[in-house]
Amino acid sequence: MTGEVLDTVVATETPEGIVLELRPAGLSVRFYAFLLDLVFRLVALNILAVPLSLMGGMGVGVLFIFAFLLEWLYPVAFELTRDGATPGKRVFKLKVVMDNGLPITPAASMARNLLRTADFMPFFYGFGIVSMLLRRDAKRLGDIAAGTLVVHEQPAAQRVPMTDVPPLAPAMPLPPRDQAAVIALAARASTLTSERLDELAALAASVSGDQGHRGPQVTRRVLGVAQWLLGHRA
Amino acid sequence: MTPLRFEQLHQHEWDELTSLLAAMRGRKQQTGLLSAEGTSAERVTTLYRKICEHLALARERAYPTYLITRLETLTAEAHQTIYYQRVFGLGALRRMIMEDFPRAARRDLRYVALAAAVFAIPTIVLGVLVYHSPELILSMMSPERAADFDQMYSPTARAVGRVRTADTDWIMFGFYIRNNIGVAFQCFAGGLFAGVGSLLALAYNGADGGAVAGYLTQRGMASTFYSFVATHAAFELTAIVFAGAAGIKIGHALLAPGRRSRTAALMAATDESAIIIYGVIVMLLIAAAIEAFWSSAGWLPPAVKYSVAAVCWTSVIGYLVIQGHRAR
Repeated sequence: MTGEVLDTVVATETPEGIVLELRPAGLSVRFYAFLLDLVFRLVALNILAVPLSLMGGMGVGVLFIFAFLLEWLYPVAFELTRDGATPGKRVFKLKVVMDNGLPITPAASMARNLLRTADFMPFFYGFGIVSMLLRRDAKRLGDIAAGTLVVHEQPAAQRVPMTDVPPLAPAMPLPPRDQAAVIALAARASTLTSERLDELAALAASVSGDQGHRGPQVTRRVLGVAQWLLGHRA
Repeated sequence: MTPLRFEQLHQHEWDELTSLLAAMRGRKQQTGLLSAEGTSAERVTTLYRKICEHLALARERAYPTYLITRLETLTAEAHQTIYYQRVFGLGALRRMIMEDFPRAARRDLRYVALAAAVFAIPTIVLGVLVYHSPELILSMMSPERAADFDQMYSPTARAVGRVRTADTDWIMFGFYIRNNIGVAFQCFAGGLFAGVGSLLALAYNGADGGAVAGYLTQRGMASTFYSFVATHAAFELTAIVFAGAAGIKIGHALLAPGRRSRTAALMAATDESAIIIYGVIVMLLIAAAIEAFWSSAGWLPPAVKYSVAAVCWTSVIGYLVIQGHRAR
């Protein structure tokens, strides 16, 4: 199926025998998250600099230490919290997990962030960007070595709206995949123009026994079948 | 069973797990998460297994996407929460320092030896070369930097090591942490380029240090220079060598993965190196503190500094050789 070839979903199996689907985050959204983190770090450093610069030599020394911590350990500290993401990543609903979907381990977080130096070569994340563009799971070098993935958090579920369409028993027995397709059409109905909805419903018209017909009436009957399949009864 | 009926039957369990997970996430700062409320933890795992089953059923019966997505989100979240582990704390730190790090250092002895050689040979070669023809220092660094070294280690300076102006010990402490740990991280990360980056970084830093040492010895500043570097070198040079060794280990895994795939070998080597990097960071923190507050004290007679340096070197090597042999 071409859909499977095009998709970048990474499937991992848990000990409970459930396949979890991870959706790796691509270059652009990670770049925005990186920029945002950069801003956060600069702001933090500048805020700290004000009182510390009044403290003379010791303040400057402490400022150097904070600069070091922000440079290297800022991502590690945040990745090891329950959110598994730096504030910048959190804004874009990204998180860092292990390849198998488990929360990131301290060793892996350390490794992926220290190996950033290699990704940065030869200039401004050159190797990291090439690696992310070439790989389907968009890993940079540090991610490959540490065995980590940056993934999108699961999107919120889209419910099938309750419409005023009366439920209608399907005209023929439907295998599960077809049932799911009809219900998915109903779930998307509100996001489609009525013309496009009619076109799509025409393709599924056989479920309500309207093969070869099209139009708003057929669409209503197909959506009615979807309501029936969901479990609504007249 | 229709999707709606399925949802009605199990809805309360999904809601219960959602709220339990939310409660757990809210208390993320507390340790002993699962032990604090044993009953609710048990409930979470029970519910989690149940909902895994629901998800499998829902997928098998091709229930609507919103239902499957909801169950997927819930299982993914529960999975993350249940398998989240806290491994911080003083106990873990103590074990890392007392056992894991020296053990890892001995396990990777061949990489450490190689890194030490790649670091030491350029140091010695450049040291001897520059000692015999000091003008060679100019092919290693700019005249300004060479002149800086002249000034820093001149025997008349009050504080040695860097040109000091005011209460600069703290400034230098921060500076050394940032600078030296950064160098160590480069030695490690260079390993990803088949180890070549690590070898180059080690050799370059060795050559640079050797050239400075040869130059200053020839200029008659041996006493100030060696008494300055001897103590913190015990921690700093060993740490740099270890960071390089970890990088070479990664590079070796890439070049000769053995019976594993290249990626799998790389991941295993990286995972094993992490413990070395923890040790490197601790050693460099110690080195920075010594370098800023002890090595630079110009009023201490060199004899005292050399004695302390000897103690430091002996304890570092002794620590690496002896610690962590006992079975757990």
